[in-house]
Amino acid sequence: MDKDVSNYSVVGRIGEGAHGLVFKARHLPTGREVALKKILIKNLDDGIPVNVMREIKALQLLRCKYVIKLHDMFPRGMSLVLVLEYMCSGLWDMLHHNQSEMTLPRVKTYAQMLLKGTRYMHAHYVMHRDLKPANLLINHEGILKIADLGLARLYWPDGGRPYSHQVATRWYRAPELLYGARYYCEKVDLWAVGCIIAEMITKKPIFAGESDIEQLAIVLQHLGTPTEESWPGHADLPDFHKITFPPSDPTPWPELLPGLEPDAVELVKSFLCYDADKRISAKEASTAAPVVSHPTSASIASGHA
Amino acid sequence: MFSTSSQRKFWTFNDESELAQLREKHNLEFIAKHGAHVDEYQRYNVFLSPEEERLLLKQYELHLKEFCKRFSPPMPKGVVGTAFHYFKRFYLYNSTMDFHPKEILATCVYLSCKVEEFNVSIGQFVANIKGDRDKASDIILNNELLLMQQLNYHLTIHNPFRPVEGFLIDIKTRCSLANPERLRGGIDEFLEKVFLTDGCLLYAPSQIALAAVLHAASKEQENLDSYVTEMLFRDAGPDKLAILIEAVRKIRSLVKMVESPAKERVRIIDKKLDRCRNEENNPDSEIYKRRMREALDEDDLVYTGQTRMSLDTSGVTQVLSPSAS
Repeated sequence: MDKDVSNYSVVGRIGEGAHGLVFKARHLPTGREVALKKILIKNLDDGIPVNVMREIKALQLLRCKYVIKLHDMFPRGMSLVLVLEYMCSGLWDMLHHNQSEMTLPRVKTYAQMLLKGTRYMHAHYVMHRDLKPANLLINHEGILKIADLGLARLYWPDGGRPYSHQVATRWYRAPELLYGARYYCEKVDLWAVGCIIAEMITKKPIFAGESDIEQLAIVLQHLGTPTEESWPGHADLPDFHKITFPPSDPTPWPELLPGLEPDAVELVKSFLCYDADKRISAKEASTAAPVVSHPTSASIASGHA
Repeated sequence: MFSTSSQRKFWTFNDESELAQLREKHNLEFIAKHGAHVDEYQRYNVFLSPEEERLLLKQYELHLKEFCKRFSPPMPKGVVGTAFHYFKRFYLYNSTMDFHPKEILATCVYLSCKVEEFNVSIGQFVANIKGDRDKASDIILNNELLLMQQLNYHLTIHNPFRPVEGFLIDIKTRCSLANPERLRGGIDEFLEKVFLTDGCLLYAPSQIALAAVLHAASKEQENLDSYVTEMLFRDAGPDKLAILIEAVRKIRSLVKMVESPAKERVRIIDKKLDRCRNEENNPDSEIYKRRMREALDEDDLVYTGQTRMSLDTSGVTQVLSPSAS
């Protein structure tokens, strides 16, 4: 692609990102619709933001149908423009404005695409760290793609390096992050996936805390006070002793996810597991055979509607 | 993975002559563009020759190494390696006369810090630079986008450090060598020198890592040849082994030939550069200052084309901080 703004005809504004505006445009030579994400640099103290670097690095590495594609980029004045695949909709929109379209078969399809994208990222040792409905975009063909990789980073399976725990949007933040863990792994993404699948099914966020503390309180209240058995090592996490909550028993899952088929409950449960080691991996979840019996519910993971 | 990386596809070259050709090409292009008025036989009295550019860059690579070594807080090896890659890549496609190496050097290290997740603010960064720090930070930030562009946005670098760890683990588990950890000193020393050569533009990080391990072993009077032939390459076939052996030999010979350029010679080249550098890219020149102002303004230009909306609608002002330029 030719690296110049003159090859694009801007047709509208899509939104405002953290560092600038996002436009819908047409790439004139090919007629392709694209999203132009313009990052203003001139007013940023430290130059090009680290999360822009992360996004570029991650998107260059990941070439997957379920991860948004970075076509190109070019400088313009004191800005950097990223040329991304154009996506007409997103899961957040669907959940807020098109709830009636979120039928169970569609939820299963989205869940499957989300899992495939996550599995692909993790196979390339990239953890996203900010999976949430607003970062899952949907194109004209109904393909869901993971976007906004500004917090994505490479990790090493040996886990030798600390990472910032200030990641992920609160409602989708894994419990180890809520307790300030600096050594964590790609399983934080699977917690978020579980939250998103539950939200697609029930049409409301499963753990909607108003503050970080309330977030933790809600999780503990629903899943029960962690024990050394359900979550080995949790008492050693940096923020564990900073706050204590009254002991609580887990809320029965049918109450948490009313009306849900038992195998779907099982699947959500396998994501929303305190112990990251026992939390299901994207690979396991996306290859798991239909989780038993009930013909109408089949398995969310396998996507057989 | 290196095998599918942009590093392998775009930034690993066949041999040294390919590198020399690229460098000479950009030297000549610069002279053609800026030296139309200079008699052809006089041109290297005015401009730097490709050889002078090489010497100068070698000197600045030493500066780069020292700068990283003294950096506070201490800089991980990966940041240094990535900065070296950026610096070398930049000057394959640009002449030192167009962009002064001292400015590009700092920008390479700064970009590398970000890409390698070694998080330092620009303030912390320029605290490591002598002289006018505000000016340094302006230069770095102004060059950052240029550098990224010249790197063709290929930011991810595969360094030899991780393969070294892999080899050490492998040697510990499969090889009878006593106390492989004692190889580290020799390995680090070797890798430090490799970055002063064109090795990383010619060989895969794993080949460089293996050369370092083998070099360190021979320094310890040990021989890992059978580990290479009987374990690493047992099933690979003789062709692959031959390629590897040749690569390791070349890398080791590159490292052996590393020498510092003569100080006096470099001082003269540096002086000469001050006279022939492109003033448009000299932060002290009026023309540069004017261009920077224009770049800032250009950003706020509004397209007036009929069917085209501008990338810079008024909405942009909402994200501008009040302290903007």
